[in-house]
Formats: sequence, structure tokens, C-alpha cells
Amino acid sequence: MQDWQYALIIMLAYLAIALFIGLWAGKGRGGSVSEFAVAGRTLGMLVTACLMGGAVFSAFSFLGAPGWAFDRGAPAYYIIVYTAFGILPWYIIGPKIRKIGVRLDLYTVSGFLFERFRNKTIPILIAIIALFAFVQYLATQMKGMAYIFNIMTEGRVPIWLGALIAYGIVVIYVATGGLRAAAWSDVFQVMLMVVISWVVGIAVVLQLHGNTTSMFSRIAEERPGFLEIGAEGSTMSPAAYTTTILVSLIGLLMWPHLFSKSYSSKPKTIKRTVLVYPIFALFLIPLLLAGFAAIGAVQSGEVVPDEILPYLITNVLQMPGWLYGLVGAGALAAAMSSADAITHSASMEFTNGIIHQVKPDMPERTTLVTMRTAVVVIGGAAYLVTIFGGQGLIALLLGAYGSIVQFAPAVYSALYWRRATAAGVIAGLLLGASVNYYYQFMAEPLFDINPGILGLIANVIVMVGLSYATKPPAIDAVDGFVDIDKVTAKETTMK
Amino acid sequence: MKKRTFNTIFITVSVLAFLPLIFPLYGLVDSPMPITLGLPFNFFWVILWILIVFTAVVILYFLDPTNKIREDED
Repeated sequence: MQDWQYALIIMLAYLAIALFIGLWAGKGRGGSVSEFAVAGRTLGMLVTACLMGGAVFSAFSFLGAPGWAFDRGAPAYYIIVYTAFGILPWYIIGPKIRKIGVRLDLYTVSGFLFERFRNKTIPILIAIIALFAFVQYLATQMKGMAYIFNIMTEGRVPIWLGALIAYGIVVIYVATGGLRAAAWSDVFQVMLMVVISWVVGIAVVLQLHGNTTSMFSRIAEERPGFLEIGAEGSTMSPAAYTTTILVSLIGLLMWPHLFSKSYSSKPKTIKRTVLVYPIFALFLIPLLLAGFAAIGAVQSGEVVPDEILPYLITNVLQMPGWLYGLVGAGALAAAMSSADAITHSASMEFTNGIIHQVKPDMPERTTLVTMRTAVVVIGGAAYLVTIFGGQGLIALLLGAYGSIVQFAPAVYSALYWRRATAAGVIAGLLLGASVNYYYQFMAEPLFDINPGILGLIANVIVMVGLSYATKPPAIDAVDGFVDIDKVTAKETTMK
Repeated sequence: MKKRTFNTIFITVSVLAFLPLIFPLYGLVDSPMPITLGLPFNFFWVILWILIVFTAVVILYFLDPTNKIREDED
């Protein structure tokens, strides 16, 4: 049998197992909105950690991180820094969001901000930005899946088919089993890709360089400045590096699929997940090593940076077919474990942020049907964008992707600042997103600062200014957020 | 320890462990030499601080006053 046949069989076997676990986890749980949206708010430590870990361990980390190391050198460290530190605020805000969510029966970011600011424009705005950003995110994952299928079978599985099979499976288990299905398939996917990334990272370094010390000494000698930031020969300035870390770090928890996991786990589970999370950041190390190892072995320009890892495995290294099938499975697992959480969350934000605003008091059954349908429709739309998306559309989606971090002032002031008003939040959000878009696509960067940070500065100034200029918000709405501890304590004694 | 005090400590520790990884502080160690434990020094530095913050958060978890309360209600 030829290498590509082994690879195809292993990848198909992986997909079959992922589908089976997803369907099995969601089976027989009954059809309530709470089960579908937040798995009854009782997910345990293992699943929560894997959900959060799987979501950041995406096609970007499997394909993008080695690409960054290969193409840009030291700036690639930013990925590890923001992953490790971006989760820390969750220790403080996660349990608080959970408490607020249980009391008001919430499961989305849109719903969260709607209850605090009692304004319909906010959830609709949030849901629209999130949907665009999610479609962009999904398109990246799907391109990763399709690319893996294509290269591992030496071009025998076309792009449209690879994306359809892998993502089709995700849509099936999310639509039927909701969050619980996504969570359990993530447990399997996370374990698989962690093992594979270490095996591959080590194998690549050993075969090409013997050990990491000689590898890095050679790079430092041949490419002075490449392993530094801001030096002559470096690919990124200190200002760009620092603000890129900051924007990714602040943005991490604002992604609705991560934010909403506050609702599905108990406070202790949330805190323990934060505890183990830096380990996920360290799992990225071998992937960076593999990217560095390609320097010298592959000429830059020979291959697109994002395709460096599969390229190494199929064209440069001597590996048995079954091993490269495993790499394919690992990359698919990385892409799918992000895609499932995102597809699920996109459906929640759409239903809760848009449909429920237009049609309040929807019966539970209809809500559930809407959520399931939304999974399929959003999944289909993302698929079509991936296969046929044009340039204009892609700029719009990328703009939304960069705008997620603009939720941060709204979310943090909802939790901690009594005086924040709906008008301030809306203006801040719109201005922040526009500033980000302007500096991302239309103007040269200002002092090399990340456009997202420029947007955040504008966002915060306008939000604070306009909040003071408008009438203070309703006290009872604010109390249920800022002073949630007192409110729940009072409500328990009254019972 | 009160919850508020704990939160302040948690935030301070996190920020202090983060600052060495961004500029201007990161500029002091931003060089691949000497290669330490097989990694460029500025890469090793990143991993070192991640391990430090990991240890710190584990210790803080055991000091956290709200974790001592029973957990069926929340």
C-alpha cells in the first residue's frame, strides 16, 4: 500500500471516532435549551479544560505557529505568551459571570450585555460582529482541514471535498448534541493533537539538526537578528510585538465561545481550568521548534509559511506513511476542536442576540429548533465563504475578527463600573471597531502599534465620556452585575 | 483573607509575572545568546516566566478564601 493510502485510512478512522464520540456524548440528554446551550451548567474539569484548550489549539497553532517561527523568527513567541496569560483574568471574572448567568439564565455575550444595559442595539451589534468574526475563524479552520486532506493524499481529495467531509461531521455532532457533544469530542481531539505535536516536533528537529542547541546556534549565526525582536534583521518592532501580545491577550476571553464557558462550569472548575491552562501554552513549543527546524532545510519562497509543517513531513522528511497519516489526524483534530466550539457559539449568539431581540418570549421548543437550524445554516454559510469567498468579503470578515477585542470595555464595565451606560457602550464599540478597521486596511500603522489597541483607546475614551454625559443606568440592572454577591446573598436569605 | 484582598493579590502577581515578557523589560533579555537548555535565551525566558506564573497561581488557588466555601450552590 502507498503512503497516501495509509494517510487517508488513518484520517478517515480519526473522523469516524470523532463523529462517534460526538454523537454518543449528546445522546439521550433530552432536548432542553439549557442542555443544548450550556450542557446543564455542570461540565466537569476535564471537559472544560479540553474545551478551552481545544479552542485555542486551532488550525492556527498547528499550521500558523510553525509558519510564524519559520518565516518571522522570535516574534512567534508571542503566541505562547498570550495563550498562557490571556486566561488569567478568567480566574476573577469567570466565577462572577457564572453567578450572574445562573441568576438571569444567560448563555451568551449578547444576553449578558443586554441584561446589564437593557438596550436592544447592543446584543444585535455584538451578534453581528461575532457572526462575521466566527465565519472568518471557521473559514481558516476549514482551509486548514481541506489543505491537510489535499496534501496528505497527494492531491487526490480536492479542497471542496476535504472541507465538506471534515466540517460536515462537526456540524452533525454539534447540531444534534450541542455543547456536550463538542466538549467530549474535544477531549479526544486535544489528547490526540498534544501527543502528535510532541512526536512530530521532536522527530523533525532530530532528523534535520540532531538537537535544538545546534539548530538555534546555526540560525543565530546565519540570520543575525532573526531570533530577536526589534534588532537589525528582526521581522517585528518592540512596539508591534508588545501591542500584538496585549491585543490577543485582552481579546482571548472576549471570544464568545470562550466567554460563554463561564456559564457551563462551576466556579471551582473555572479556577482549576485557569490553573492547568499554562500547560496548553507549553504544548505549543514543539510546533514552534518544527517551524524553526525548517529554516535552512526549506527555502523561504518555496512554500507558503502556513503550509510549512505538512510540507516538511511530506516532502522533506523520511517518514512512514502511517506517521504522516497521524500528523494529518492531529491537524484535523486541531481544526475541528476549534470549529465545533465556534459553530456552537455562533448559533447561540445568533439565536439569543438577534432572533430573541426581534421575537422575545419564544417558547423553549422553538428556541431549540432555531438553535439547531442555525448550526446548520451558519455552517453552510461558512463553508460557502471558504470555497467561494471573494476579496471584499474577506476584508469585512477580517475586520470583524479584529473587532472582537472591542467587546472588552463593555464586558469589564458591565462587571465593575456602575456608571457605564448603553449609549457609551454602543458609541465605544462602533468607534473602536471603525478605528481598528481603518488602521488595519486603509492607513499605515501609527507608531507600529497594533490597530486593535488604537481601537481600544478610542473605545474606552468615548465610552467613559459618553457614559458620564448620559443618564445613569437603572440601579437594579447594575446591582445584578456589579454587586452580584450581595444580591444573591440577599435572595438566598429571603427564600 | 477577604475576597477583595485576594483579587488584588492575584492581579498584582499576574501583572508582575507578565511585565518581564513585554517591552521595555523584555528588551533587557532579548537575545538568543547564551543558548539555555537548548533554547535561545529570550525563548527560555518566556517559558521560565510561564512556569513561574503557573506555580504562583497554584499557590494562590490554595490561599483563595472563596474556595473554602462548600460548592453545591454557587
